[in-house]
Amino acid sequence: MKLIALVIAAVLPYLAASSDVDPGKSLGSPSAPIRIEVFSDFECPGCKGLHEQILPLVMRDYVIPGKVYLVSREFPLPMHQYSREAAGYATAAARLGKYEQVADALFLKQVAWSASGKVWDAVANVLTPAEAKKVQSLAKDPAVLSEVQHDLELGRAAAINQTPTMIVTRGTSRFPVVGAVNYTLLRSLLDGLLK
Amino acid sequence: MVSSSRVFRAVVLALRVALGAVFVYAAWTKLRQPWELFAMSIDAYKVLPYGAVVLVARTLPWAELLIGLALMAGRWLKVSTAAASLLLLGFFVLMVRTYAKGMRIDCGCFGLGDPISARTLARDGTLLAGYLFLTWTSFRGRRKAA
Repeated sequence: MKLIALVIAAVLPYLAASSDVDPGKSLGSPSAPIRIEVFSDFECPGCKGLHEQILPLVMRDYVIPGKVYLVSREFPLPMHQYSREAAGYATAAARLGKYEQVADALFLKQVAWSASGKVWDAVANVLTPAEAKKVQSLAKDPAVLSEVQHDLELGRAAAINQTPTMIVTRGTSRFPVVGAVNYTLLRSLLDGLLK
Repeated sequence: MVSSSRVFRAVVLALRVALGAVFVYAAWTKLRQPWELFAMSIDAYKVLPYGAVVLVARTLPWAELLIGLALMAGRWLKVSTAAASLLLLGFFVLMVRTYAKGMRIDCGCFGLGDPISARTLARDGTLLAGYLFLTWTSFRGRRKAA
């Protein structure tokens, strides 16, 4: 009985940690030894750099081989006028399994929509008309809005004050990695943690 | 009645121990984490090539620890106060340059989560003044003794 209680106590934090992950916004195996949570803002240039240059390498070298579980978190900064709207569309698209496509499109056209405010134009391009209709409706859904808020609160609880920030977790060790980092250094960090 | 020179010596001693502790704390925040995290903070300044970033990341925290302990213990004061002042002067110049360029990066002074701002510049500027004062007192003391 005592043993069962001990096992439950040991496993519970991991179950709790993975239960708050939107499967539509995560890549790789939840049982991978390292978990990386990327807190980013679609209107932040550093986040664009991380998304377009570093994360594809992390995908190739660590996520696909099953070494890293990659979780996307929304962290729209108050100084960016349209980033919460963009986060809402991306989170809504995750419900249809289209998070990556929408995130790619938002970062690709970041300069244009952050100047014009026409966020939807960037999103609509990568969706079929039926998906677009669903995403527009889901983006107003209280569950989607509260998921964005939940990510933001998780980031604040982790004392995040700038984007992009990656929280790298290996067992009970958690390390914040701030900014659009040098991949050689990130690889050295991940390899060190995997040893 | 307590003489002004005794008060001055007590102030210098308190300042030396406090500023030594600041260096020890700065070293501890870096040494308790994988060295790559500090290397990423240095790399974000975009002033050093990769090899130098690695070298600084792996050696600077140990130098900070040594300087901090020497300051707190009152050993090799001429060298430790001058080294602390020079190091902090270097950090401060880099931080001012980065802030003036509008780069929003972590200062890397006391671990992560400390972005360069007017507040961090004021903090490090005040610390620099303290280290410069200690350097002046250590050299002045030597001259007087000589």
